[in-house]
Amino acid sequence: MRNRLSFYIPRQSLIHDLNPLTKLALVFTFIIVAFSSSWYWLPTILFFFGLVPLSFIGKVGKAFLRTTFRLLLPLFIFLFVMQSLFYPGGVTPLLSLWIFSVKLEGVQFAYLTGTRILVMVSSFLVLLLTTHPSTLMSDLTRRGLPGALAYIITSTLQIIPQMQGKANTIIDAQRSRGLDTEGNLFKRAGALLPLVGPLVFGSLVDVEERAIAIEARAFNAPCKKTSLIEISDTGFETALRWFFLLLMLAAIGSRIWLS
Amino acid sequence: MAILTINNLTYQYPSSPQPALKDISLTLESGEFLAVIGANGAGKSSLCYTAAGFIPHFFRGELNGQVLIDGVDSSQSNLNELVLHAGLVFQNPFNQISGSKFTVYEEIAFGLENLGIAREEMKARIDEALALTNIADLGKRSPYALSGGQQQRVALASILVMQPKLLVLDEPTSQLDPIGTQEVFQVIRAMTKRGMTILMAEHKIEQVAEFADRVIALDAGEILLEGTPGEVLTSPLLPERGVGISRYTQVARRAQAMGLWSKQTHLPATLAQAVRGFGGADAAQEVNDAA
Repeated sequence: MRNRLSFYIPRQSLIHDLNPLTKLALVFTFIIVAFSSSWYWLPTILFFFGLVPLSFIGKVGKAFLRTTFRLLLPLFIFLFVMQSLFYPGGVTPLLSLWIFSVKLEGVQFAYLTGTRILVMVSSFLVLLLTTHPSTLMSDLTRRGLPGALAYIITSTLQIIPQMQGKANTIIDAQRSRGLDTEGNLFKRAGALLPLVGPLVFGSLVDVEERAIAIEARAFNAPCKKTSLIEISDTGFETALRWFFLLLMLAAIGSRIWLS
Repeated sequence: MAILTINNLTYQYPSSPQPALKDISLTLESGEFLAVIGANGAGKSSLCYTAAGFIPHFFRGELNGQVLIDGVDSSQSNLNELVLHAGLVFQNPFNQISGSKFTVYEEIAFGLENLGIAREEMKARIDEALALTNIADLGKRSPYALSGGQQQRVALASILVMQPKLLVLDEPTSQLDPIGTQEVFQVIRAMTKRGMTILMAEHKIEQVAEFADRVIALDAGEILLEGTPGEVLTSPLLPERGVGISRYTQVARRAQAMGLWSKQTHLPATLAQAVRGFGGADAAQEVNDAA
């Protein structure tokens, strides 16, 4: 069982050293530019000439390409099949088979949508591969994100694998008492039902204890929280973030007024 | 100076028909180790929660009487204030891990971050807590990839780092294996040597006999017995009320029935007392030295 659900790969790199907020601003700039631009090839260019080089500068290129591929391949196949066959504005048939025909407009639409999603997902991947979740959260908390919200996000990352482990234990316990969990799909789905009660009620008890534990450590103390991790931030990066903000506004503006 | 004073405390959980604690009065002096024993449901945990301020601030319900934690009246204060005076460690080591930190070192920092302590002081305090709980080598590990005994020591360190005056331990070893239990008690021994004031609920009577300055036995929410470990732990009342007794007491009691333990000798609660009682003064000294 993996211990946590985090993409982070620890390396020494320029991208790793950037302030998390700068990276977050970069991510949103990529996404907004990719989605607001009317130029067909822009998302493709952003991916191959922006995000791929960034991932290699961050020394996580291989993991970046592999994860992107795995995450998006099923979606792309689905997108292309559905849009090329059923895109409502399709008039130019490329090839036909019985009542189905693949339309050029559908393929084009699928490609544009696909590359936009590619930019969105892969830019977040660059952030997550190069930023430790606790660094990201403590930087955002320092800038005013409510502590409770940051806690929910980081604890979810850790608690999901624990819940999986617990579910497996309950299933094993019930199998050892004769519950049939093998067989066809319906049988297996049915076998999940007796899992729900113990898992949910057990988790509620855990939640109360965890609440006591974090209260005992002054979680709700009214003072301003500090952070153990020192997160670098430079004047240059502040300037960079302003620049990204302007880019985002320009991209949105050009979409509204120029098209 | 009294660190904990409880006067005529009666407390009832909101969903319960009868009180969990009835007319409890006790005082805990600075540096004292008070152990609380009793059967399941006797009120040990409730007493611990009260001593740490979680009753009445986390568990609502009806509280009568007065609780002074390090001089602060608990019903007049709030939990954020009270956790600075009393730290609570409870049974389940796993649920005491905050869940929001990825290494042991950061985990221990959690409480200090919440209190807004400056980074330099934080590091000094964490290093001290790590050394005290003997987990300095675990600093970079994930708090979830540890054994129960290690996790419980992380939980202890996370509380000690906040430097409370009173340490409340609610059966800290009940979910641990023998090795984990031993590891945790080593830390508790180190804490007593430093003069920490400790209130501990515990089932393991042999450990209570060894550590406690004073013992309270609870029965159905009331104080059944109070006194030194030697007085309370060998009382014939305990087995009647479903409280375990030390295996040394058990052996001596059987020996007494068979005429092998003199009626004049007080029943033993610890190994050393038992060995001495059976006539091995030198061996008793050896046992003491070993401990």
